Amino acid sequence: MSEQTTRNQDGLFRFIDKDTIQSEKITAPRYSYWASVFRVFFRKKTNLVMIILFILIFLCAFVIPAIAPYDAYENLRDATSFNLSPAAAMAKYDGFSFKWILGTGPMGNSIFYGIWASAQTSLLLAIICAAINMTIGIILGAVWGYSKRFDQVMLVIYNIIANVPYILMITVLVYIIGSGFWSFVFAMTITGWLGIAYFFRTQVMIIRDREYSLASRCLGTPIPRMISKNILPFLTSVIVTVLATELPSYISSEVFLSYIGVGLSAEIPSLGRMIQQAQSAFLVYPWEFWPPVAIASAITVILYVLGQNLADASDPRTHM
Amino acid sequence: MLRRILFSLFSLLVVIATVMLLVYNLIPRGAIFQMDDVWNKKSLNDRTIYEYAQYQKFGYLEYSDFTSFLRSKYEGRYGAEYTKSDEFKAAKEAIQNENTYLDNPDVQEFIEMFEKEGYKIKYLEPQRSPSGKAKKGGDGYLVAVVERSVFTRLWNYLTHLITVETVNDVQDPALTERYVRVEHDPYSGLFAVVGSGTTHKYQLYFDGRFPFIHQNWIHLNLGTSFTKFRGQEITDVINRPTGDQVKAQTQYPAKLGTDEYINSAIDFHTLTYNSSPRTKTEMKQFPDQYTTYSYRIDGLSMLENSFVIGLIATAIAYLFGLPLGIAMARHKDGLGDKIGNGYIIFSIAVPGLARIFLFAAIGTTLFGLPYKFANAEAKILAYILPTLSLALPSIGNLMKWMRRYMIDQMNSDYVKFARAEGMSEKEIYRKHISPNAMIYLVHGIPGNILGCLIGAIITERVYSVPGVGGLLTNAINGYDNGIIVACTVFYTTLSIISLILGDLLLAKYDPRISLSSSKGGGR
Repeated sequence: MSEQTTRNQDGLFRFIDKDTIQSEKITAPRYSYWASVFRVFFRKKTNLVMIILFILIFLCAFVIPAIAPYDAYENLRDATSFNLSPAAAMAKYDGFSFKWILGTGPMGNSIFYGIWASAQTSLLLAIICAAINMTIGIILGAVWGYSKRFDQVMLVIYNIIANVPYILMITVLVYIIGSGFWSFVFAMTITGWLGIAYFFRTQVMIIRDREYSLASRCLGTPIPRMISKNILPFLTSVIVTVLATELPSYISSEVFLSYIGVGLSAEIPSLGRMIQQAQSAFLVYPWEFWPPVAIASAITVILYVLGQNLADASDPRTHM
Repeated sequence: MLRRILFSLFSLLVVIATVMLLVYNLIPRGAIFQMDDVWNKKSLNDRTIYEYAQYQKFGYLEYSDFTSFLRSKYEGRYGAEYTKSDEFKAAKEAIQNENTYLDNPDVQEFIEMFEKEGYKIKYLEPQRSPSGKAKKGGDGYLVAVVERSVFTRLWNYLTHLITVETVNDVQDPALTERYVRVEHDPYSGLFAVVGSGTTHKYQLYFDGRFPFIHQNWIHLNLGTSFTKFRGQEITDVINRPTGDQVKAQTQYPAKLGTDEYINSAIDFHTLTYNSSPRTKTEMKQFPDQYTTYSYRIDGLSMLENSFVIGLIATAIAYLFGLPLGIAMARHKDGLGDKIGNGYIIFSIAVPGLARIFLFAAIGTTLFGLPYKFANAEAKILAYILPTLSLALPSIGNLMKWMRRYMIDQMNSDYVKFARAEGMSEKEIYRKHISPNAMIYLVHGIPGNILGCLIGAIITERVYSVPGVGGLLTNAINGYDNGIIVACTVFYTTLSIISLILGDLLLAKYDPRISLSSSKGGGR
């Protein structure tokens, strides 16, 4: 309140009525959780660089295949176009062009277009799988950790499913439902959430019995609200940390599964398949092997670093 | 603890049943013929019969055909010339006529016998061309087929899991003496437990090879290979040495005591019973029917190869990872911490495959280390790259966690108190923080060591190490169902044992932790 209104015409203080509405207001600076998170996040300059790099890769992965569709079999009949180094490829096809800047693959395919079409698959796969697994994993994990009765049932299921070899599970699913993109997503998510849920179960169990949760429970807070208001906000930084390791892990998984022969079907361009095809001769035709490896590594490293830093920033203790 | 072990065994059973359901019932079995030339060449009924035979070989079903039934029936009566008997000819002829085949007494007997045992009778009608002649592959067949349910499969598996040799193993009536006794062993110079009537002659013996004392009394049969290691048990496959034969001066059992020596790799400790009559040369060489032997081979077995590489890598990882993690935490935000963090990001985020190839490229081009295991001139050098490829990411992982837990502990009250007491920083880190941070890592140690027995799939494949890492994937790709089940049992058992050992080690390391659920509230 300004000085003028608190004094009367004689310059003396005057009484004002008690204002109950005003007295309820807290005049501390406004605190917004997510604004603080991003303030802390962008304080680090590496994050900005990483975000720019990521947007660049993301744009390339979605724009380049849209402008110039990738056809792995376009030169299949021309054996002279196989396994050409960048220089040889550009000499063969009308001089300098982005298409042949990385040489040709084992079927005369353009490596440069190939890696971007593959990166698109990998990015989509990682984002979709992570979204599904994280959603199911967090929700079920929260209930799992909170309810003791559910815990007993889930532990039995976990002990069994966690012990069935993962590769076998994927192989069987690929046999049954095929190896298309969505089948692969299904195979990765049908049991993929279990590990995440188990991790969150343990986290929730730790917080469940803290004093403030106990107090809430004494006051009769219903379980869904306990989970959403008392427990999940406390887990934000943990969730982001898990997300940071989950996202790159799907790209690595796809590479690994393609390498052992149970990956996506041959029509779908994928980084795993490109690496798998080039690995046997990686010392002879290095231009076929290193570009997909570099893109896969770049995506995973960027996602991991960004995720870790976001997790650090989402811990309120760093907001001071 | 007992409850826990029982519960683990129950989980193991369900896992085996689940995997059996997956491999035998859910993977489409027709896929085994995709690459099969024999199948392509066969047609009509011949092809169906071939399919049954293959399915039986892969363990999907059991079938018996009419001809083998006739053979077992008439061979006893007429000897080897049974195919010329009238009954046999008549029965063979009968099933080529779809209208009258049921009238034949042998056919009736076949159907009755197998239906009683739960088999389904399938009659494949003869396929004729318009002229009345049977088409190629179109002969009529009569077969009995039974599919096993998951429960019978599981039961059969469990009852054959452990077999103990007894003196009644050999079914040969010609064998009169049956005993198990301790004898002087001429091959080792020590004593051995020798059996007669048991499958193996030497039940327990000593030998100059690791682990020096060997037994043939109890066999663990985790599963039998159907395709790749045709008919062999997986326990033999992974334990058999992969090197060359080792020749030595030795003597045939019948020549012992004479001066007739041979230079051979035969290992006479592996003699097993052979019920077919001995040949003339065998009469001179062996005093009894124990005439089947295997050879002495040097080198490490598949399991040992994987285990040696894995164990050294684990040791390196703990030796370097923990101290580096401690150092990073001590000099938090310093240059070393930043470099360490960069390394951690590299080892976690870069796909494993890419990382291994990177190591391979650096190791072979810069240091001239052997790349492929089999081509290496000096075997010891060939171990370096695979071991490092395994150790380096584990170092990163251990660094990450050790640093994390150290930093968490560094702000604890007990650390502040120790500092207030005037302890030196070095002492605080060594005596207080490190042991407390280690609590979180102790639990994983048994798992990491036992995990070496599983092998490392990519590392072994890239460097072509003859190890066990690719066993499961190769089995899946080759429809080797027996191996798939065996691998699952092996892996699950290892993971159960690791968890239990981890808990025990944790309770030993940190006395505050109690394993019984009655204490500490029992959530």
